[in-house]
Amino acid sequence: MKLSAIRPIALVLSRELTITALLLLGVSFVVFIILYLSPGDPFSVLLEGQVSTEEAREGLREAMGVPKSWYSQYLSWLTNMLQGNFGTSVRTGLPVLQEVLRMGLNTVVLTIGSLFITLLLAVPLALYSAVRGTDRISWPLTMFSYVISALPVFWLGYIVIYFFTHKLGIFPMAFGYSSGGSGSAWLYALLPIFVLGIGNGTVSEVIRFLRSEMSRVMAEDYIRTARAKGASVWKHSFKEGLLIPVTEIIASKIPFILGGAVIVEQVFNWPGMGKMAWQAAQDRDYPVIMGVAILAAVLVRLGSLFQSVVYVAVNPRASKE
Amino acid sequence: MKRISLVLLSLVLMAAAASHPAQAAPKKDGRPNGGSLSYGEYGRPATLDPVTSNEMISLRLTELMFNGLVGINEKQEIVPELAEKWERSPDGRTYTFSLRKDVTWHPREGEETKPFTADDVVFTYKIMMHPRTITPLKVRYEFIENVEKLDDHTVRFTLKRPILNALAKFSFKVIPKHGPSNPLYLTRDDAFVQNPIGTGPFMLKNITAEREIILVANENYFKGRPHADKFVAKPFADQNIMTQALMFNAIDMIVLVNPRDIPEIQGDKRFVLQPYNALSYSFFGYNARNPLLADKRVRKAFTYAVNRQEMLDSFFNGQGTIISGPFAPGSWAYNLDVQPAAFDPQKAVALLEEAGFTRGADGFMQKNGQKLTLSLKVPIEKESEAVKRVVLAFKNYLKNIGVDIKVEFKEWQAWKEDVFLEHDFDVIFASWVFDDSADISSLFHSGEIGSWKNNFGGYSNPEVDGLINESKLTLDHEKRRTINRKLHAILAEENPYTFLWTLTNYAGYHKKVRRVAIHPYKFFSYADEWFMEEKDQK
Repeated sequence: MKLSAIRPIALVLSRELTITALLLLGVSFVVFIILYLSPGDPFSVLLEGQVSTEEAREGLREAMGVPKSWYSQYLSWLTNMLQGNFGTSVRTGLPVLQEVLRMGLNTVVLTIGSLFITLLLAVPLALYSAVRGTDRISWPLTMFSYVISALPVFWLGYIVIYFFTHKLGIFPMAFGYSSGGSGSAWLYALLPIFVLGIGNGTVSEVIRFLRSEMSRVMAEDYIRTARAKGASVWKHSFKEGLLIPVTEIIASKIPFILGGAVIVEQVFNWPGMGKMAWQAAQDRDYPVIMGVAILAAVLVRLGSLFQSVVYVAVNPRASKE
Repeated sequence: MKRISLVLLSLVLMAAAASHPAQAAPKKDGRPNGGSLSYGEYGRPATLDPVTSNEMISLRLTELMFNGLVGINEKQEIVPELAEKWERSPDGRTYTFSLRKDVTWHPREGEETKPFTADDVVFTYKIMMHPRTITPLKVRYEFIENVEKLDDHTVRFTLKRPILNALAKFSFKVIPKHGPSNPLYLTRDDAFVQNPIGTGPFMLKNITAEREIILVANENYFKGRPHADKFVAKPFADQNIMTQALMFNAIDMIVLVNPRDIPEIQGDKRFVLQPYNALSYSFFGYNARNPLLADKRVRKAFTYAVNRQEMLDSFFNGQGTIISGPFAPGSWAYNLDVQPAAFDPQKAVALLEEAGFTRGADGFMQKNGQKLTLSLKVPIEKESEAVKRVVLAFKNYLKNIGVDIKVEFKEWQAWKEDVFLEHDFDVIFASWVFDDSADISSLFHSGEIGSWKNNFGGYSNPEVDGLINESKLTLDHEKRRTINRKLHAILAEENPYTFLWTLTNYAGYHKKVRRVAIHPYKFFSYADEWFMEEKDQK
């Protein structure tokens, strides 16, 4: 890539990173306030199993060195976080950053895997119907995918478990997803990826979006010109009709997929960030919840960063907008 | 079922303060060694050491990895463990323990095996009592004034005052002095809590990425190597899946079978369904701060109005016992002479009328133009199906006698704030879990009314207070029993709760596992004796 092509990307990157930093600050503040205002506190989980008098709570707060006012709590968290210290989980005592990253990796696998499944199903269907219009092949397929998309993932998850492991026995019954033989662990991973990929309402949206984008591009003058010249229509329409919409979809769908992951991870006992967040929310494990929120926000921003970079790489003029 | 767990003082057990000779090193019972046993757990344990952990999942695991000075055998007698004999001073204020000399700590990689000594006992006690250590054990050991090491294998505990059944309390699990990195106190940040070493039959091998906990046999266990090679605890997010996992041989044991799945496991010849005593009970608790509920006749009417046997039979397959009072039926304090009130809606209506209520045109009871409407707050639980049914049945039963119940489900922490802090409720549905003690003082004593205290309903009765105080002071077991029987009778009549039932707990396991004895709440106390025939070891 020439230098002139890299410059706009660098420009976009620096702008996006600044926005990201501000956004993370905002996210952390909002999440903290919501936590602070919600009933319960992290001490309850430590006091579970003993008489939790007011004095016991106060003693605990002091023993753990937690400041009293909400703003000093937030500021001390923020100061530590800026130094790379996300604190330790109240429940397990494990360092939050390390745990969130470890679990986050599993969730990233789930997210990317399911995005891949979604695109694998949606792109051919969308392209086919954009080029050929709705016909006897694309209509039932599209309808079918719409129906599947509309099913709630927790239900779909149970149905899939029921059929594939109970009835057919194709997938390992090792819920919790391995034991000894790690050879079949990846096989088990396919189920939640599949469920999250086809469910969660993503496939139908991707089809709709891609089809309309592609149809719009197909009607553009330059495509007609290309067609008239006898040049490849595909080559001309690829960037604007497929590459950009797809990256846009990836970016915009990440938050939804992360949301769906919370449910799918619960159903499939998948040791990911969503499950971690769920547990942490029940325990009011503030440091973990904050850590998960930050990581989720980072993932979402990475998605849109990726989108901007691709957009500018395709069309350098966009960096000046 | 999620429960309010409760730590109560004073263990029940009576025992001869006698000395027993130490056992020989290898188990010579002729039963085969080998085999791996994996069991399903209801989640991932927070910590694995016996000091900071405060939930059942961890409690079960620490039972496999650690020992106390004394233990409790299947007949509920106190037996020597890390201490081989002990002596009680005539005034009952000092206990001197002679420790076994053949006990070693689980080895850490690259380190030499270290022997267990008196220093470890003193260390454990000091750690437990340090103000910065957060542990439910602290309140249980406040009766100890001092501990001193007499020599490497002798420790002496001095009590603040003699207490009943003090010996049983020395079953706290001992941790090694060289274990935690901080020599003064133990917090959950300490690496030890995730990677502990103990003296018990099994030692922690590793925790997998999926948080499965793998324990292996301790070859040097002082009671002889346990029969099984390996124990694996597998966390499950979903109870339904756990039973399925047992059916598909993905696990070998479930520590607590969901009542709904009992018939399924029962009907399968591959499995054993073993009941064990549960020291817990469920109840509807009333808020005496509400003037309507302050009248004992109203509370009593509610107890007559509900058909407890019908609920137990239809929602829990009849797996349990209806109770009449504030103790678990397995407990020595339970008064069998007090019968649970029979289902009698007519009597309930009569009682309400006696309390000044009349049936209004809409069919609901009212007094001074005020309709008898109450809120019922219920914590949302993971496996809430049975709970939901109980709650709806309660609503229906009370509707029949003209009481309007508004059910409100609340998230666990929010529910706890409403009940224990704000006292903003009329009726709750919950359960208490006891250890093997029968101390109900924190539940019904008027001194326990207040923020985050256990007498959430604000129940106050001078007679009950007096009996509780008396029971706490007595050193005579028989006398305490008499007092508790009296307490039981009074509370059964007063109905601060509508006492419901104790459910029978069932462990479900593959029949290849033999000689399974189960401790009521520690569960794995006797697991070193469990074995598998060679052909079953896979």
